[in-house]
Amino acid sequence: MSPKDALFKEIFDKNSKKIFHLCYGYTGDKDSANDLLQETFLKVWQNLDKFRNKSLISTWIYRIAVNTCLTHLRSEKRQAKDELTDNIIETRVEERSEKNEQIALLYQSISKLEENDRLIITMVLDELPYPEIAEISGISEGNLRVKIHRIKQKLTEIYNQYAGV
Amino acid sequence: MQEFNHIEALWASHTVDTHISAEDMLRQAKKEVSSMRTKSILNIVIMTLSMIAVTSLWFYDFQFWTTHAGISIVILAIAVYTLILYNHYRIIAGYDFTANPQQFISQLKIYQIKRHNLYKKLYWFYAIALSLGMALYFFEPLAHMPLIYRILIVIISFGWMIFCSFYVRKVVIRKDREGIALLIEKFERIYQQLH
Repeated sequence: MSPKDALFKEIFDKNSKKIFHLCYGYTGDKDSANDLLQETFLKVWQNLDKFRNKSLISTWIYRIAVNTCLTHLRSEKRQAKDELTDNIIETRVEERSEKNEQIALLYQSISKLEENDRLIITMVLDELPYPEIAEISGISEGNLRVKIHRIKQKLTEIYNQYAGV
Repeated sequence: MQEFNHIEALWASHTVDTHISAEDMLRQAKKEVSSMRTKSILNIVIMTLSMIAVTSLWFYDFQFWTTHAGISIVILAIAVYTLILYNHYRIIAGYDFTANPQQFISQLKIYQIKRHNLYKKLYWFYAIALSLGMALYFFEPLAHMPLIYRILIVIISFGWMIFCSFYVRKVVIRKDREGIALLIEKFERIYQQLH
């Protein structure tokens, strides 16, 4: 294995789960999330030589993933697929245990948020430090705190609606 | 009524299976970059093998001069077509997206135009040369056959040529154009997001 391949493997193992959370939270569909995960890491591999340690590598990867997710929805071909998301989730929920059902509901609730809000809340839930989220999403830390407070409320509201609580 | 901390706890308690490993990703990444080149090489290899097969026919002891003339025209047509394919391959062979993305994208665009011209214009010279070669070649083997076989062989051979020229060619043009356009779009998107 070449040094670049070895480095890529290390980066992938360290970051792939969190990036998958981000993509899954964004699309609400596992298959699309896997596609986005692959596209993100394809970009990471192809541009690894150009990464300069100006920011954390995880921040750099998150930024690629966020751009990939946002571009994904704008692609006409994928939009048709996105409309099917509700059906996909609803069908799968029936097959799950109670805890898995709650998690599926949570992903479904996240997918009902605004595009950027979905990405931000996933990073919050994955406990990324606020300065890092601010850098990835390109907004000031002050604004981010206000935004996160509002997204948390909105998400809780949607989740409770779905859960019938 | 659940609070946000319930959501946080629920999130923290779940794990995901991404169904993909770093090795798969690396394979995928390398495949994306090299699959078009491999396809191009494969095309050249198949054409070269066809040329060798037709060339071997040339050494048989045929009686009619038309047979050798036909075989020669077919060999020449395949050789020229293979040479054009090789030139197209060279357009994309020496460039790496990771080394120089802009140059790689512009080479891909040149490749797309060349491929389009090949199927739209040059293909007809190739098809006409092949048909002429086949027509000349058939004089000798068909001379000893009953009329019905002659008619059948001519219909099947030229029918196949017409089917390839008017149906297969259009499908190949569409698939080729869409495939390369998707690649260009993908690499441009990647480039724009990182620069």
